[in-house]
Amino acid sequence: MIENLKAATFEVLETMFFIFPESLEEAATLFHGSGIRAWVPVQGPKKFRIGLTMSLSLAREMAANFLGLEKDEVSPERIEDVVKETANMVAGSFLRREEAPGTFNLQPPEARPLDLDGEIWKGNAHNLLLAVEDSGLEVFLDTSH
Amino acid sequence: MAYNVLIVDDSATMRALVRKVLKIAGLELGECFEGANGREALEILQHNWIDLVLSDLHMPEMDGAALVKALRQNHLWQTIPVVLITTEGRREVLAPFFESGVQGYIRKPFRPEDIKEQLQTILGEAWVPNDRELEGCDF
Repeated sequence: MIENLKAATFEVLETMFFIFPESLEEAATLFHGSGIRAWVPVQGPKKFRIGLTMSLSLAREMAANFLGLEKDEVSPERIEDVVKETANMVAGSFLRREEAPGTFNLQPPEARPLDLDGEIWKGNAHNLLLAVEDSGLEVFLDTSH
Repeated sequence: MAYNVLIVDDSATMRALVRKVLKIAGLELGECFEGANGREALEILQHNWIDLVLSDLHMPEMDGAALVKALRQNHLWQTIPVVLITTEGRREVLAPFFESGVQGYIRKPFRPEDIKEQLQTILGEAWVPNDRELEGCDF
């Protein structure tokens, strides 16, 4: 399951954003400053959330790449929209890779700001901590909802 | 021939991206309309001539499935080519759309070339590429 989540994440980031994340042990030390977390609730026989957490600077870079703009041209609304759309694409790719039945449905993505320094960053069976240059990127599958 | 295109997606960012890719892909664009869901798309269709609809599936208020159904039930709109641009990739979910006459499908994430190939297939000889090249293009 976590391998499919990783493959889905790499597919989305590489295809749409020209960003190539790495699985590094030190990724857990790369989460600092203001961040954003976006997720997609999945409804169906089981309920869970698939989402991403990253720094605002990485989110801004992704949004700029996505839209072909300079980083200072991207509005906060556009940054949030891009991170939500990224979570949406990762979730869709994950369900396809898992061959999930059609009874599992993606719900509209949600997002909230996050202080990355106020969280504990540790990889486990339900999340991946990746490095994108000097920034951390978390991808998670949350089954507690 | 310049095509009037309707892009339907609840993400304004994704609509902007698709609009940009259409230009890069070489489609001779007439007017490009945008709707955030099926309901907004139908309102645009009532007041404008549309040659091609590019629609997401998962949208609030009125989703892509309801939009396709409404298009196919209206004699004025039933021949408008519809291409789905969606994160959905499961065959069992997509099959009913092709049975209802959806002409094309582009799965997110996509490359600009994916959109170009789909439109070339659907529009056939009507496709008039401009002189822009996709190779090495930047979103």
